[in-house]
Formats: sequence, structure tokens, C-alpha cells
Amino acid sequence: MKWGYNIVTKRSIDLDANDMTIALKLQEAEESLISCIACGCCTATCTAGNLTDFNFRQLHTLVRRGEYDKAREEAEKCMLCGKCFIICPRGINTRNVILTLRRIL
Amino acid sequence: MNTYFHPFVIPFSLGVLFLFATLIFKYVRWYLGLTSDEKLLIRKSLFTVKSLKAVKECFTECLLHLKIYKVNLRLGYMHMSLAFGWFLLILVGQLETATYLANDFVPLYVHVFFRYFFPIAPEGVVHNIDYAPLMDALLLIILISVGLAMTKRLKSKLLGMKKTTRHTLGDRLALSSLWLIFPARLLAESATCGAHGGGSFLTSSVGDLMANICPVDMIELPLWWLYSIVLGIFMVSLPFSRYLHIFAEIPHIFLKNYGVRAKNEKSTVDDFQIAACSRCGICIDPCQMQSSAGVNNMQSVYFLRDCRQGTLEYKTADNCLMCGRCEQRCPVGIDLNTIRLNRRQGTLLRLGTNPYSYANQLDTSSGSGKVGYFAGCMTSLSPRILHSMDRIFESARENVWNADRDGGICCGRPLMLAGDIDGARKMMQMNTELFRKHQIETLVTSCPICLKVFKEEYNLQGIRVLHHSEYILELISQGRLSVKNNGNLVTYHDPCELGRGSGIYAAPREVIEAVASLREADEHSEHSLCCGSSLANTVIGTPQAYKIASDAAACFESTGAQTLITSCPLCKKAFAKVSQIPVKDLSELVCESLICK
Repeated sequence: MKWGYNIVTKRSIDLDANDMTIALKLQEAEESLISCIACGCCTATCTAGNLTDFNFRQLHTLVRRGEYDKAREEAEKCMLCGKCFIICPRGINTRNVILTLRRIL
Repeated sequence: MNTYFHPFVIPFSLGVLFLFATLIFKYVRWYLGLTSDEKLLIRKSLFTVKSLKAVKECFTECLLHLKIYKVNLRLGYMHMSLAFGWFLLILVGQLETATYLANDFVPLYVHVFFRYFFPIAPEGVVHNIDYAPLMDALLLIILISVGLAMTKRLKSKLLGMKKTTRHTLGDRLALSSLWLIFPARLLAESATCGAHGGGSFLTSSVGDLMANICPVDMIELPLWWLYSIVLGIFMVSLPFSRYLHIFAEIPHIFLKNYGVRAKNEKSTVDDFQIAACSRCGICIDPCQMQSSAGVNNMQSVYFLRDCRQGTLEYKTADNCLMCGRCEQRCPVGIDLNTIRLNRRQGTLLRLGTNPYSYANQLDTSSGSGKVGYFAGCMTSLSPRILHSMDRIFESARENVWNADRDGGICCGRPLMLAGDIDGARKMMQMNTELFRKHQIETLVTSCPICLKVFKEEYNLQGIRVLHHSEYILELISQGRLSVKNNGNLVTYHDPCELGRGSGIYAAPREVIEAVASLREADEHSEHSLCCGSSLANTVIGTPQAYKIASDAAACFESTGAQTLITSCPLCKKAFAKVSQIPVKDLSELVCESLICK
């Protein structure tokens, strides 16, 4: 039977407990990332995101929160086609973000 | 038999021994590093016409430097007079020695320090040609070219180069000794001529002058010592400096003619090519990263230098548009893009086992037909191209199978360019399976990036791969597409991957001529500018990419054309953001000129 709703699993993040080194390193490697407004254009255009639940905005959020395990799974799904970079209204070099993650994660 | 010897010949002789020992060591190590296929290819080609071609190329490129003449006449003359002049000086010196000594075997240094041992012809020597004026003339030619080289260091624009190479310490040492060699030779020979007579217009008159102002018989020996020492220093520093190219260019030319080229993976072919780079700096001026984006450390000359020194950082390798403008200009013919591509590998971590499993067995294709259309990721960002292609297919009554209209996967080239060849191979495999499954016979793509990888890396035997410009031209020439010429004045931008990358210059131009009138920009075809948004560069950000695009767009605007036509969705996007005139894809232009039947 469909109720139209379900029970949300508890999902709290302790930002003080998480290690932020990689997030800071990433920020250093791609400074423009700080200007991200999470508009989701990257996600809307994503070639991989069209086929799976991969999306750049989520990846960025995961890294910013220090949730690297999940980010590790996600980062490699990117095919580096570059559409998100072309479309990004803040001109963030998204491909550099992915490549940096694939070097430091 | 006389023994011609003086202790001053020792520095030179040691230098020569060291030089050739080092060269042989390097060559043997690199040769052994080649794959067995490559070695077989070399052995098979050794006694064929390819070797003769290589010998001819060695003459025209190592000595005459004809390709540099195409860059600038004065620059070409400078390189030729130094290389060919020095070569002739050695050759004529050998002939002169042979005439004087008949068949006596003498060590190499006797040829080099000939004038010291024979200021005037010994008794009984019959020679039909007086070599002294010829040797003097050659020395003068070389001295002038050294003068030109010094001028180029001070003011490179006089020799047709806006920027010249920044040198390493080893290069400076070798350069200083090279510049000293010929003045030292002039002084030493002149001192001998001043003291003992002989010589010709140059050495004899400088000798007389020296004899008038100083005791030449006392400074004669120190000057020969100086000449020998600078020669020795040059020989020893040669294998560690840019001048290694003098010898490394020869095996490089042979390998090139035998078809042994750099590959996607690192190999010792790269070492031959890297050593053949003379750091002439001709690659610097055409680089838009330098002229527009103000980046001065990643040009091919510095990239190859870092490769050779083992100090290459991934940022230097990654920070390149790979537009191929430098490769097109390189007088040595080094596979600059391929070497850069293979140096990008190995910097990325493989985090999962099969990250692209989500695309396994994926088939979102639609339609049916023997002609397949692969729009490409970037084309889907530009719906006008998709729409125009639809209209074109429809007008030509072509049954089309759309590979990725409702989302497909990438062609793999972006991953390849980022150094993840394994990831790229997965894409290639999945796409190939998809093409085979639908049994297409022709594959049309609107994206030159996809086109290049389809042609070069995919195994698509039996499938014709066409860029949409070639396909549209085919339709027009077969009379399947009726178009009218609107007479609009347009200019055309050659996308890097289509032009220099795939060698397609004529097809888009013929299509344009059929529907509009074309006015070329100053830099077109193989000299075409990059739009700056190249997927090959993962380092520069939007501001720099925009700067490159707007500088290039200015070049097109200056033609006075009404529209800028390109045939790459990525170039279109890049120019559309900065161009003062409308930017259209070739397919849009054709679509506007269709005559509906």
C-alpha cells in the first residue's frame, strides 16, 4: 500500500567531528568554488546525472561537509564532458574540482 | 710521419670523447627502451626509400632549417648560417687537411686546430684550390650569425620573434661557450697568421692588425688554449643543454620517417623527441595562453624542458588548450600534443572498480536507419544545432538513428585529455557496442571532439565517420539537399579539433560557399585561433577562457562579416558569450538556406 510518505532515516552531521582538511584543500585548489550559489545548473545539464543520481552539487555538498566516503563513490562517475563548466553562472571550473578530488580524496 | 701535437688540444679532445660517450649511452638506452614492434619497424625500414627521405630531411632541417624560414626570413637565415656554416667549416676543413696531408691518418684535433699546425702550406704540397679564403669566408658567415643570435637575445623582435625562450643555467653556460667559440677561433687563427704569415682576407688582415698592436707570437698560444677550452666546455655542456638537439634531431628525423611516433602511453620515443627540442621558442608566440591569458610557464618549450629535467608538475602539463598551434609551427616536428597527453596520465586516483557501471547496456537511442547521428554532449547544450540537423536530415529524406538524443554517454575524449585513458576506454567500448548493435554504416557527429576520438581511438571498421560539415557537403553535392545562396557575408572559425586535429578545412568552407559568401580572418585554417574553452585545459578558469575567446573574436569581427560561423558546439558557446557579431553553427546557416521541396 502506498501512503504517499515514508519515514525519514535519521541523518545528522556533526561538522565539528568531521575532518575538513580535504574540503579546505579543494577550496584552495579551485578558489572560484566559494562563489557557488548551489543553483543546480551543473546538475541539470549533467550527462552522467541524466543516467544516474550522480550530481555535482551533491558531490560538492558532501565534500564541504566532510563526508568523504560517499564523495569517493561519486567523484568518479563524472565523465568530464565539461557541460557544467560551460553552463555555470558563477564560472566555476567544475572539471578542476573533480580532477582535484580524484587526486586528494 | 709527423706527430702533430700540442697540450692545448687536450681540453677539446676530452670534450669530444665525453660528448660522444654520453650520446652513445643515451641513444642505446633509449633504443633498448623501444617496444619490439618499434624495433622491428626500424629494422624493416632501414634499407628502404624512407631512409633516403630521412637523410634529405636531415639536410634540409638540421642544416638548412627551411621550416624556420617560413616563420621569419631573418630567423631562418640566423639558424641556417650557424648550422650549415659550421658544417661547411668542418667539411672544408677536412678537405683542406686531406689535401695537405695526403693519406696520412691524423687525430681529429688536427682538423680543428689546422691553422696552428699549418699556417702556410708545407713544401711539396700541390693544391688546386686555395682553401684559406673559403675558410675565412665561412668563419665570417658564422661570426655574423653569432652576432644575429646576440641581437636576438637583446631584441628578439628584430628577428621576427615577439618573445624568446627563458634559459636554464646549463643553457646559459652552453650558450656563452658557443658564442665564444668563433671569436676565439678568429683571434687564435689571426694571431698565428700575424706571427707566421698565411691566412686570407679575414685572418691575415686581423693578424696584421694584431701584430701592430701586440706581440702576437706571445699571445698566439694562450689564444689557442682559449679556443680549445671553450670548445671543450661546449662539448661537455652540450648533452645537458638545449644543444643536445644538434645530435638528437637526426635520430628523431629517422624515427619520424619510419613511422615511430609518440603514443598515448609514455615511451622512449618521447625521449628522442624531447631531446630533439632546440628550445628555439618558436612555439611561444602562437600560444594564446601566453598572448591572451598571460600564462608564461606552460608553453611547449618549457613543458619539454621540464620533461627532460624530470621536474614536470601536473599543473604545467594540464594547463594547455592543446589547440595544436605550437605543434603546427614546431620546426622540429615534435608530437607536442601526444607527449603532453601521455604526461597527464597517472596523476588521477582510481577510486572505485567500475565507476561507469551505471551506463552498462545503456540504450536510449531512437529512430532507425543506416545513418547514425551522435550529437555529442556539447551539442545537446545548443538545441539550435540539434534542430537544424533534424531539418537537414528531414529535407534529405534520410532515415536517421539518433544515438544520444535522449541522453547518452560521453565519447571518452574528455577523460582521455584529462589523463584517464582507462576510463575513456570504457566509454569507447560502450559506445562501440551501441553502434554495432544498431548496425549503422555511417556515423555523423556535430562535435569535432567526438569526431577526433571516433576516428583515432575507436575501432569502427566498416562505419564511415563523418563530421556534419562533410555530411552536409555530401548531401548538397549529391543533390539531396537544395540550398540557396543568401549572399550574407560570413567568416569562419576552424575549431582546433576539426582543423588541426582532424585536418578538415575544405568541407565546411565549401558548404559555406554554397549558402553564403565567405571572408577569411587573418589567421585561418591551420593558423586558426582557439576559442579558449578547450576541454584539454582543466586549469584555467572562466576569466582567462573569456579573455582568449574575446581576443580571438576580435580577429573575426575585424573582417567586417555579419556572422561568425563555426562548426563545433563548444566553440559556438565560447564565442557567443563574447562576440559582437552573432555566432552560428554551420548547420544553422545551412538550415536557414534550405529550399523546401
